[in-house]
Amino acid sequence: MAKQISGDAGYSRARLAINFLGSMRLAVSLLVLLAIASVIGTVLNQQQPYEDYVLKFGSFWFAVFRDVGLYNVYRTNWYLAIVGFLVLSTSTCLIRNTPRMLREMLEPDLVVGSAYDPRWMVNNVKITSPLAIQSASNMVVAVMRGRGYRPKLHESNGGVVVTGRKGRYNRLGYILTHAAIIVFCAAALYNADIPVKLDMLLGAVRPENNFHIPLSEVTKKAWLSDNNPAYRGTVTVPEGQSTQVVYELVGNGYLVQPLPFRIMLKRFHVAYYSTGMPKDFISKIVLYNNEGTVLKEANVRVNHPLTYHGVQIFQASFVDGGSLLKMKRYMFNDPGAGAVDEQARVGQSINLSGTTYKLKLKGFSLDNVVPADAIESQPGAAHKHINLGPSFTYIAQSKSASSAEFKTYMQPITRDGQSYFVQGVRTAFGTPYQYLFIPTGPNGSIGLFMKYLSALQSQVGVNSGESTKRYVLHTFKLVVNKYAPSMTTEAEALYFQSAISAILQLKAYPVPFVVTLTGFDHRWAAGLEVTKWPATVVIYWGCAVLVLGIFILFYLPQRRMSVALRALADGTEVIVGGASSRNPYEFTKEFEGLVARLKSVLQSQDDRKENNDG
Amino acid sequence: MASSQADESLSLTKIESEGRWVNRISKLDLLWFAGLTVTVGVLVDVFNSQFWFWQYVVLGTWYVTLVAVGIHWRAFQAAFLTVVSAALLGIWLYSIGQTPANDVILCYVLQGYAGVMWMIGFLLAATGAYLIYLLTLSEKVGRVATGLTWAGVLMGFIGLGVRWRETYIGHPDWGHVPVTNLWEVLVVFCAATALFYLYYESRFKSRSLGAFVMPLVAAAAGFLIWLTFVQHMDRIAPIIPALQSFWMKLHVPMMFVAYANFTIASLVGLAYILGDRSRRSGGGGILARALPSGEVMDNMMSKAIALGFLLFTIATILGAVWAAKAWGGFWSWDPKETWALIVWLNYAGYLHARTSKGWRGKQMAWWSFMSLWVVTFCFLGVNLFLSGLHSYGKL
Ligand code: HEM
Repeated sequence: MAKQISGDAGYSRARLAINFLGSMRLAVSLLVLLAIASVIGTVLNQQQPYEDYVLKFGSFWFAVFRDVGLYNVYRTNWYLAIVGFLVLSTSTCLIRNTPRMLREMLEPDLVVGSAYDPRWMVNNVKITSPLAIQSASNMVVAVMRGRGYRPKLHESNGGVVVTGRKGRYNRLGYILTHAAIIVFCAAALYNADIPVKLDMLLGAVRPENNFHIPLSEVTKKAWLSDNNPAYRGTVTVPEGQSTQVVYELVGNGYLVQPLPFRIMLKRFHVAYYSTGMPKDFISKIVLYNNEGTVLKEANVRVNHPLTYHGVQIFQASFVDGGSLLKMKRYMFNDPGAGAVDEQARVGQSINLSGTTYKLKLKGFSLDNVVPADAIESQPGAAHKHINLGPSFTYIAQSKSASSAEFKTYMQPITRDGQSYFVQGVRTAFGTPYQYLFIPTGPNGSIGLFMKYLSALQSQVGVNSGESTKRYVLHTFKLVVNKYAPSMTTEAEALYFQSAISAILQLKAYPVPFVVTLTGFDHRWAAGLEVTKWPATVVIYWGCAVLVLGIFILFYLPQRRMSVALRALADGTEVIVGGASSRNPYEFTKEFEGLVARLKSVLQSQDDRKENNDG
Repeated sequence: MASSQADESLSLTKIESEGRWVNRISKLDLLWFAGLTVTVGVLVDVFNSQFWFWQYVVLGTWYVTLVAVGIHWRAFQAAFLTVVSAALLGIWLYSIGQTPANDVILCYVLQGYAGVMWMIGFLLAATGAYLIYLLTLSEKVGRVATGLTWAGVLMGFIGLGVRWRETYIGHPDWGHVPVTNLWEVLVVFCAATALFYLYYESRFKSRSLGAFVMPLVAAAAGFLIWLTFVQHMDRIAPIIPALQSFWMKLHVPMMFVAYANFTIASLVGLAYILGDRSRRSGGGGILARALPSGEVMDNMMSKAIALGFLLFTIATILGAVWAAKAWGGFWSWDPKETWALIVWLNYAGYLHARTSKGWRGKQMAWWSFMSLWVVTFCFLGVNLFLSGLHSYGKL
């Protein structure tokens, strides 16, 4: 007996749980809760390097936020738990309702039950007609059929009931919508790396945290299986090189995913609009297998990925792939010594001989398109753009002095008739560059300026006062006559002015040298994203089903009519009832129209019948 | 006897057929249907070689939607034809070598920029007229307000149509559907909100709601003026590679049509709340007299949200398809995407709450009204305050 009771209690408790899980109140709460939880990840930039967060929050809050998972909210267990709960709730609701709805939908004949008793329907009206019950029911059937209700006649104790409905498949809308949502959420949960997460939990997989080691040194635990069914990773490939793996970022580290083929980047190309804005990013890639057989050759562009056997390759980003730069270095503290040649690749560092400085080559940019009015002082150039040509950036560091960052243009830039070598300098990162303009001589280099500087320096301090001016000009004439005799007087004047202001500018210049770019061998690297995601088809069909379901729910409402007729001594009593699954207001309008029509036909027939009789 | 039976069955047939929807189709509707069918046929014939599968799907969807909307709402037929012919006239003027500099019509009316300026003017005037209507309930003023709104909607869409062509002029490789920067989408938003408002107005015979909906359109138009004269965002510019997508052309406009419906629902919610308050406090106030019954407003609100929800769902899916092509994933949890999800979840919550008993009338009106902030944040706030992949609409 006791067993029986506890069984009953267990049963009803399960019932309660199911009722709770499938309740509308829970659905509303979960939807709103999920919406609110989603806000967090949009306020805080997600998946940044951990150092950035430490800087932002301090180490204490950094650790708290990390443990709550705020740096990758949408993959935390608590967020996934809300989604999981929503799936559970929606499934419960769907499983509970579907059989009933299907039964109701497929019912060949509407059974006259309490749901079809017109007196209990939301809208109901009683009409008395003088017509005989047979004719009255014929009229009712005609009116209902005309309005799409597919009327059915039922005999019921002494009278007739006519039932009909429209939009019988409305409930299908509910089923389709919710089934699609379950499919989506399941796909999303799967996409949230559940299998990898499980493996990480079990210790079979551990992300590598060191980003600066070659692939061969990456711990074996960070390697994913080559027959992983789904993945999404990125890789940067320099021109002319190839890769057979992609990297998946996880927390503060990464995992290595092997690919079923090698990707070789033949060439990367950026096409520009006339304004200098990029128009297209194109990676020419070749796929080949381990035997070296070419599998496919194609251009991968933004919005035009390449698909090969279910693996998709996307153009994601681009960086300098280690361009070779040829430079000349001039020393301001020894301008007469001539230029020193330097050569290195972007990303490398060079120690400058004879100084305590080290140069770190940061980047190279093939084109610099700017609005013309940024350079030309004349107005009217507002809409034009000009290409300033290649530039490179480097950081100069020394043990004794603070570091500075430089941006140097390769080609001289002409401004108001004089051409200049232009270099941006900044001593604090993130601040705007201060530009140094050194005039270039007839051969396009700053050699003449250095000669002049050297000539000045060799005799500095000899004179002072008024005569300094004369001396500066005199030295200039000597240098020009010696090294650039072909200069016109006008050009000379311009050059002299520019040279003097450059010398004044040099007072605030942070390093004792200047590096110019004389040649380069450009090499891009393309950032490619590689995904394998066999569930795509499921997603597309899920979308179609979702939209169809919502459409049915909203625009094919189920509307039921039920009309009970009972023979009276001198006519028929007609009770009309109707109900709709949504938009009660609109249905009331339709119902009123239908009743008005019924009244008029049932009564006008009355007149005619009397005429016939007479 | 036999004749009387035949008589009766004849009249039954008549009664039956009079209720059918085919009876409500007029000659004009047939002409509309035939005209669209021929146009689509010609388009297919001309572009047969260039079209791929999805272009046929999109064309077919346009065709069915236009036929259905035109028959459902007759005023739309005239509006559509006006917009198309005026825009084609503008394009034709360009094609015969006219420019805004040497052609008066192009300069002051049909040029994309001019069309938008006319739209702004008309919509601002319409807003004033609706406010006067609310105070006076003068039928004449009401008709003027509706007329001005129509004028604004037509000029807005004509302007957009001509601008589409203008993006190709001088720079064939710049060409794009004019929905690529904040300025262009605001034009779409103003015109679409006003158009959908006109639809609900004619459907529910409720002019006084214009005094609630149109001020927001006017605010958007004001913002547009600022973007034009201070930020110069009306200039035609090329678009970055990520935006050069077939799916963008569908995703963006549909998003804004959905926003338009949500906006209308929110402001009707506000009208509901204020009307309810006015009725409760004695019922003598302007609002109590002017506004339609709570039932009508409730219905209008749920209609607008239902349509908005359907369109928003499709638009979000189109966005995901585009993202899958451009970024390699349907969903990247970028702020704009996440806010779209928040909007969607919010309205899903609304629709569910509506079907359960306890939530009715005033609470739902509050929910609808408060959703305006969620939608506005998704539309503007994300661009202004958060950064992410969707930073195209930046100021
Ligand atoms: C938490 C689990 C859920 C439950 C228990 C649930 C339950 C229900 C129920 C009982 C209906 C009423 C059907 C009708 O009135 O004909 C409904 C309607 C609907 N549900 Fe859900 N649902 C859930 C989740 C969702 C989710 C996540 C969505 C998507 C956003 C969704 C979208 C809809 C829509 C659009 C309707 C139609 C509302 C209307 O008729 O106005 N449901 N749902």
